[in-house]
Amino acid sequence: MKIAMKIAASLLVATSAAVLSGFGASAQETVKIGILQSYSGITSLGGQQTDSTVKLFMQKYGDTAGGKKIELVRRDTTGPNPEVAKRLVQEVVTREKVQVLIGPDYTPNTLAAAPILMEAKVPSFVTGAATTGIVGEKSKYSTRTFFAVPQLCKPLAAYAVKNGWKRVFVAVADFAPGHDCEKYFIEALKDASGTLAGNLRIPVANPEFSGYMQRIRDAKADALFIFMPIGELSIGILRAVNDSGLKASGIKIMGTGDITDETYIDAVGDAALGTITTGIYSTQHDSALNKEFVKDYVALNGAKPRIGWGAIATWDAMRMTYDALNAQAGAKFDPDKFAAFIHGRTFESPRGPITIDKANGDIVQNIYIRRVDKVNGVLQNVEIESFKDVGFK
Amino acid sequence: MSSILTVLFNGVAYGFLLFIMSVGLSVTLGMMNFVNLAQASFSMFGGYVKVTAMQSFGVPFLASLPIVFIVIGALSIVVERLIFRHFYNTDDLTQVLLTIGLVFMSIAIATYAWGGTYQRIDMPSWLTGQRDVLGLTLETYRIFLIAIGAAMAIILVLGLERTQLGAMVRACVDNRRVAGACGLNTELIFALTFAIGGGLAGLGGALSANLLGLDPNFPLRYLVYLLIIVSVGGMGTISGTLIAGLALGIADVMGKYYFPQFGGFVIYVLTVACMLWRPHGLLGRQT
Repeated sequence: MKIAMKIAASLLVATSAAVLSGFGASAQETVKIGILQSYSGITSLGGQQTDSTVKLFMQKYGDTAGGKKIELVRRDTTGPNPEVAKRLVQEVVTREKVQVLIGPDYTPNTLAAAPILMEAKVPSFVTGAATTGIVGEKSKYSTRTFFAVPQLCKPLAAYAVKNGWKRVFVAVADFAPGHDCEKYFIEALKDASGTLAGNLRIPVANPEFSGYMQRIRDAKADALFIFMPIGELSIGILRAVNDSGLKASGIKIMGTGDITDETYIDAVGDAALGTITTGIYSTQHDSALNKEFVKDYVALNGAKPRIGWGAIATWDAMRMTYDALNAQAGAKFDPDKFAAFIHGRTFESPRGPITIDKANGDIVQNIYIRRVDKVNGVLQNVEIESFKDVGFK
Repeated sequence: MSSILTVLFNGVAYGFLLFIMSVGLSVTLGMMNFVNLAQASFSMFGGYVKVTAMQSFGVPFLASLPIVFIVIGALSIVVERLIFRHFYNTDDLTQVLLTIGLVFMSIAIATYAWGGTYQRIDMPSWLTGQRDVLGLTLETYRIFLIAIGAAMAIILVLGLERTQLGAMVRACVDNRRVAGACGLNTELIFALTFAIGGGLAGLGGALSANLLGLDPNFPLRYLVYLLIIVSVGGMGTISGTLIAGLALGIADVMGKYYFPQFGGFVIYVLTVACMLWRPHGLLGRQT
């Protein structure tokens, strides 16, 4: 009995080894792309959007690039959670042996991942973190396809002053990116010789805005600049600006594109109408490439949830990955050549032309001034002006 | 002068909003002595029921409110019969762990059923914009909140604190065995009170969703406010909840207007001070 078992076991081992080696000989080379986004909890929309975009890209351009088969390794960062992100990066790099990484999302996760990616020489794409100084400064293999905070915060100051809105009130969320944005905007406002009518830092857990609204109204500013994180604060402040009558009093409402993000602008409703924001991408962008992107995306993934910036950042990351793999077709995967191919590259994205900085890997792109309008009964960010090739500093 | 009065009015309206949101918890936690954190989930489902009724079935705003009360009330009876009734005699920590688990489950259920995005909340035009009242320009919806909050407070104080039903509930909570021995149907009374608490929570969600935003994370985001109001007001008293809501609401709005640099801090300082001064809450009974 025992002997029979042993024979059976060794037979099993032998055949499976033969099967495995057989596959190994015939299979083409693969490239593993790690995708580290949040798929659960309140931030799960980010992962959903990334997956929808990757699916669309691979449906369109196939699952091989440069003769190598693409294999995806997905992991859930669960949100801004650096301990989890670090563990997952270690896992996908050492055990799964991913060669390219999309993510992780959020600044704390990006910072936690950078040393590992630098040491393991894994090219990565920052598709969901906007803090300055977290790309080439931390890992020379990283590339940002999202945006950097100053890109969105600075241009509105010049735009406001040019339109005669010289006295500007600044309201930001009271956390690190909010403080950064406040600094960049106020500096740019001074450079454009506008004046600061007042400023407010609003706590990130804040269900009630009326006290702030009255204060802004008392300051009698020409315009109000808002920076809020994506989520209920943006909805709350835009509704409060409208409900309190502040907007009707004639003050111009401006902000970074987060406050009118397509994924929840319908929840803000008509209160969002007329809001002027800076943005890197609007589904309304007028180019053949974008029209095709939007049409294909909606055909594959449905009209809801609407396309946000995470989708376009992922799309461009996939585009560059495929191009870089094609450029080293026939050769073994080389991370240094991969990064060198991408850094310094200029190409047309559905959002418009973008350039990846040669030295830093950060992004240079057009920033669009948009106004919320109703297009065919749907609230949209309509591009009305653009600032060309805005840098990341 | 007019700006001070406007700020005061806004504070009162915010106070009523806090009252409306937390009164459901006040009923279950305060009167039944059951720590039900899932009350915040009932609020969220109330919001979703309202949105679904209005958008999918074309129910007008006012008519959607009783629907929310009935649906969420019925839902809480189901949950009470299936789960909660087995935990009436356990300690507080068990109840907290049980109900916080339910909160996480409710978040997953809402994401599955309605998606992870924020819901569009339509308001009738007669409730939006501003109205001129005695020389002040006031938000219409806030006037509505004050009116409906005051009506709820009167009905609840008279109904639950001054009627036979209220007395029966308190009797059951204080000593269930003796109350049962006196011929009270304690199971029925508990289920009924639970339904009222749940229905009120649902109503709170439906009335606040347009101001607070409605997404699956709603319960976790606002749970802390519910707990603050109920504990500052004192266990087992509807009027205490109302007073706490108004006091903290006014303090919060005033604080944000006069000392914006301290912003949202005021409400927490007041809570701590109040708990040090009166550990059982403003109107709480020593137990």
